[in-house]
Amino acid sequence: MGILGNLAARFRRESVTLELDDIQALILRSRPEPYVGIHAMLHVDEAEGGRDLVRRLARHVPAASDWTEERDAWMGVALSHAGLRALGLPETALKSFPLAFRQGMAERAEQLRDFGENAPETWEEAFKPGNCHIALTIYARDDEALDRTIERAMEEYDRSHGVTLLGTHRFGADADAKNPFGFRDSISQPTVAGSGVEPQPGQERAIAAGEFILGENSEAGAPVAMPEPSILGRNGSFVVLRKYQSRVGAFNDFVRRHAESEHEQEKLGAKMFGRWRSGAPLVLSPDRDDPELGGDPSRNNDFDFSKDPRGLVCPHSAHMRRLNPRGSELTILTDENIHRIIRRSSTFGPKWSADVSAADDAREDRGIFFIFISARAYDTIEFLQQEWINRGNFIDLGEERDPVVGLHEEPGHFTIPADPVRRRLDGVTTFNRLRGGEYMFMPSLSALDWIGNAGWR
Amino acid sequence: MTDSKDPRLTDETRLEEVRRRASELAADLPQLARIALETMIRDHNPAYKGSAKKAGRAGKQSGNVSELTAIAKLKPGGADRLRRIFDLTDGNMDGAQRVSTLHDMRFVFFDDDTRILFATAYDGDWDTYINDFATKIPGLMDLLFANIEGWPGIDSPKVKDFIADHQIDAAGWFVANPQVTVVDVRRYQRMEKALGAFLDAMAVNKEMDPATRTALEKLSTEIAKPEGVDY
Repeated sequence: MGILGNLAARFRRESVTLELDDIQALILRSRPEPYVGIHAMLHVDEAEGGRDLVRRLARHVPAASDWTEERDAWMGVALSHAGLRALGLPETALKSFPLAFRQGMAERAEQLRDFGENAPETWEEAFKPGNCHIALTIYARDDEALDRTIERAMEEYDRSHGVTLLGTHRFGADADAKNPFGFRDSISQPTVAGSGVEPQPGQERAIAAGEFILGENSEAGAPVAMPEPSILGRNGSFVVLRKYQSRVGAFNDFVRRHAESEHEQEKLGAKMFGRWRSGAPLVLSPDRDDPELGGDPSRNNDFDFSKDPRGLVCPHSAHMRRLNPRGSELTILTDENIHRIIRRSSTFGPKWSADVSAADDAREDRGIFFIFISARAYDTIEFLQQEWINRGNFIDLGEERDPVVGLHEEPGHFTIPADPVRRRLDGVTTFNRLRGGEYMFMPSLSALDWIGNAGWR
Repeated sequence: MTDSKDPRLTDETRLEEVRRRASELAADLPQLARIALETMIRDHNPAYKGSAKKAGRAGKQSGNVSELTAIAKLKPGGADRLRRIFDLTDGNMDGAQRVSTLHDMRFVFFDDDTRILFATAYDGDWDTYINDFATKIPGLMDLLFANIEGWPGIDSPKVKDFIADHQIDAAGWFVANPQVTVVDVRRYQRMEKALGAFLDAMAVNKEMDPATRTALEKLSTEIAKPEGVDY
């Protein structure tokens, strides 16, 4: 039984407090496994034509009401601030969005530490400031369902005017759901309070709905910043979209350079990610991969780091431990529960294999659309980039950076705690290079309708 | 015309301004030239190098260390309430210390206790951990800042705007150890103690293998280099 079957059995409609029929399904609905899908980016040249398309697309965007049930395909729609402006929203509404979202991702390069080869000047054309107005994503169970849904979306697009399709990107992964480096990903998803599914024993507690759904109370008590009027903001959320090119060859070479045997290489990779390739967490399987554990959704996320305070099993600097410290003692006063994200990433390019080396990276054919949803997504990504990814201060490691997604303008270190003395590996380079990104707003269904019909008039 | 907003300079005639600037420049020249020259020729150790970037939305940043200077109006009686808090805690701000990014904080009352100057040095960008403070130490934050006119509450989505609106960027910002965070200093203190104990153990270790001996010799040489503090 997959994750979805499990969820459907645990869903209790009577414990739902969210307005599920107004929330886009994509917010609560995880990728299927295996999954296929498509991202499309559109530019609005003319407000009325743009609104007409939004109105018609909105009819194909399912609500989250049946989010635990099986579904063949679903579409989600998100808008950038430049997009909202191009769609003709009134100035008062545009101004009511939080500063970072108003500025857009490129202008936040300083806060996001997007420097050097990650700087906005080097981004792909579609992500240049002001280009991406509407982002549309479809997830589907198989190619057939995907094609059907794409066809419906394209019919609407063909009938529209004043909107340019900047590009599409088809993606997919088999049942292993592995990232370009050959590691299963998107395993850990927060439980959203009020969504109708309670955490199981051994799982972490549910996170306040306001961390993910605008208008609901957050972990701090009150709702987080929300655009106005309330029909625009309520039941929406924010999305961070960042496209990475994965240098799988450089990563493979790094692992080969620092470990002799195949097993040692696999182990070093696991130390860097925090999980083995199958998704089995190091903490639950310290010495070798355990594919059965990795593929079991009831066990592969049932752990914390409280019994590994020194990082002897899972290094403090491992990617997974950095981005979700799960009870690790941190040097800085931090509330883990307000930095949680709903992951909706997708992988593209050939499947991982060990024989890929740095020379192959020149093809730039592998990567990740790193996508996540949170009511304070813009704050979260800036926090993650500054504190948890491109620094080590919060885990007492000074300037050490994330070995998987950090930007290494100069080759960096990776520290592996060990007895009697820690190992520190040199030569960590940027294994995931940013190719562009944008801050998006994922409106509620009624807000899509309000925008499509120029409800402010 | 002058860039300064000092109102006393607005009545100055063009000729007076030129004369004032020329004489100011002449007086400052020897010292300025010396600073400029020293900056050019001095070979700074990169480990101690500072910078003068912006600290995110407001304030200055040198290396890792940033400044936040804010001036605000106090509510009536606010100064007395704050004084009572400071007297009670005797400078020991529990909670603020757990934050671990704060190097220091100062609260100065002026204009007959109607206004407050708040100045702090801290690690990183100023607004990075605001959301964390809002859920972890909301009481302390509100206790300190509720005496300020217009304070929206630490959990308000407006709190970042409120702070930024009251901030004044420092014109000059100099940090002795710009690369070193509060967390680093605590580690250095711990390491100093541990290193002492380690060296004590090694000093009486008669059966030292050659690799250990070489490593220890190198360690002893490195830590026996006294260095003047170079800003």
